[in-house]
Amino acid sequence: AAEPWPENAALYQQLKEEQILLSDNASSLAVQAFLQMCNLPVRVICRANAEYMSPSGKVPFIHVGNQVVSELGPIVQFVKAKGHSLSDGLDEVQKAEMKAYMELVNNMLLTAELYLQWCDDVTVEEITHPRYGSPYPWPLNRILSYQKQWEVRRKMKAIGWAGKTLEQVLEDVDQCCHALSQRLGTQPYFFNKHPTELDALVFGHLFTILTTQLITDELSEKVKNYSNLTAFCRRIEQQYFEGHEKDSSTIAARSSKRSLLR
Amino acid sequence: MAAPMELSCWGGDWGLPSLHPECLTVMAYAKFSGAPLTVNTINNSWRAPKGDLPVLVSEDIVISQPAKILNFLRKQKYNADYDLSAKQGADTLAYIALLEEKLLPALLHTFWIEAENYCSVTKPWFASKIAFPLSLYLPGKMSREALNRILLTKGGPPLYSLTEVEAQIYRDAKECLNLLSKRLGTAQFFFGDTPTTLDAFVFGFLAPIYKVCFPRVQLQEHLKQLPNLCRFCDDILTCYFRLTVSGYSPAGQDTADANLQKLTQLVNKESNLIEKMDDNLRKSPQHPPRKLTMLKLAAGGEESSPMSRLSP
Repeated sequence: AAEPWPENAALYQQLKEEQILLSDNASSLAVQAFLQMCNLPVRVICRANAEYMSPSGKVPFIHVGNQVVSELGPIVQFVKAKGHSLSDGLDEVQKAEMKAYMELVNNMLLTAELYLQWCDDVTVEEITHPRYGSPYPWPLNRILSYQKQWEVRRKMKAIGWAGKTLEQVLEDVDQCCHALSQRLGTQPYFFNKHPTELDALVFGHLFTILTTQLITDELSEKVKNYSNLTAFCRRIEQQYFEGHEKDSSTIAARSSKRSLLR
Repeated sequence: MAAPMELSCWGGDWGLPSLHPECLTVMAYAKFSGAPLTVNTINNSWRAPKGDLPVLVSEDIVISQPAKILNFLRKQKYNADYDLSAKQGADTLAYIALLEEKLLPALLHTFWIEAENYCSVTKPWFASKIAFPLSLYLPGKMSREALNRILLTKGGPPLYSLTEVEAQIYRDAKECLNLLSKRLGTAQFFFGDTPTTLDAFVFGFLAPIYKVCFPRVQLQEHLKQLPNLCRFCDDILTCYFRLTVSGYSPAGQDTADANLQKLTQLVNKESNLIEKMDDNLRKSPQHPPRKLTMLKLAAGGEESSPMSRLSP
């Protein structure tokens, strides 16, 4: 199966400045971090219709050779089939733990981000609706964002999050960060010396939460309470993202948003 | 300061104190932490369940979700996680998330969506526990909610049909069971020698899969190939739930006998239906009569449900 990784591999996401939302940005950054950790070069291409191009409807997705793979889980497996893996050195129990923690991040952090973006009325009015439909003319932009909102709210209702208040959601985020902080302890990465896909996923979500400006700062305050998590994010940013000048789209965008780590 | 606490939940069968995973979790946690709960199982009374079970009532406080109930018990000083380190507490949260994401869809599917299981086991059982006419409505509602949940969380593209989603969720569930088995290893409980919150959740999810006798049992068969998880469930049942329902005593043999009895009943029912179907075929005018002497002109309109319930 092993064709070598081509030079022109591309990662597609939505428009960085105007359109992309918190949860999608987090997922995209997680994939970028993972690919950097595997030393696989990839260009980031921003397209307004990235969500519709993706085979599963979710961003980001990568286009490698003649294959298109979306979302972190399938991308990790795809990269493994090409012969690169970050978690080979782990034993069975550690692999089980890693998968469990990845589910924790998806279950709590990602769902909380989606809740905040789509179910909290203030944020929806002021940030999400304007951003989500921004590349499209009126009335398409309103229709698309209402459609997406309805979809996300249905899903929240099915998993029982619709009845939660914002305070409860922030409590859950705090619990999740507490668990991650305890697990990380004083180690450089979650499984000691080498980063794994769990580190990429956690970095993607936490860094995005820390550097995205929302209506209030409550979400990023929850993460900032845990100093080892902020140190973790800074470490990964310095190691994997700052040396790459050609990847200027990511660095420039981050400095244009109020970067709270500097 | 023990205010009397009452837990309302679904009853049990097949050797389990309850059939509902969340109820089982709360009951197991109460046993582990020594909380004095009086358990009310829902039976044919008019106290219809308002909302979801399990529900804990203590003085005037009503709490309904398992996580909140466990938090409440912890605040009342019934804490099973007392000896855990912070990292183990974090692991607990992570593994519970894994169970909910990977195992719960398949569990819901086995109970509520798989047509044979639902029609022959789940629906009659739940309907028998609820008063008429709610028994006509509530099982259907629970089934629809389960289907909705699975389709909304797992059913996006590129999985377009229910069969593809089913294949994916069973694969995920089997992988989850393998991971749990590897994590448990040869230990008695997940964190040492005393059971904790994680053991309660794992028990709550695994025991229904393990014990309930369904016609379609691919998840149960996979679970039976992981002997340490089976041993884990049996240990908790014998040590913490000394049930005396239907002569059950803390011995594995009796459980096996009770299960065998139920299985035999199901097999007998199925063989009766096969005989009826055979009779149908012989009486049916389209098929060439096998024994000319037995050819009768029957109404030919036996209800078609036995035919559809039997599948090759």
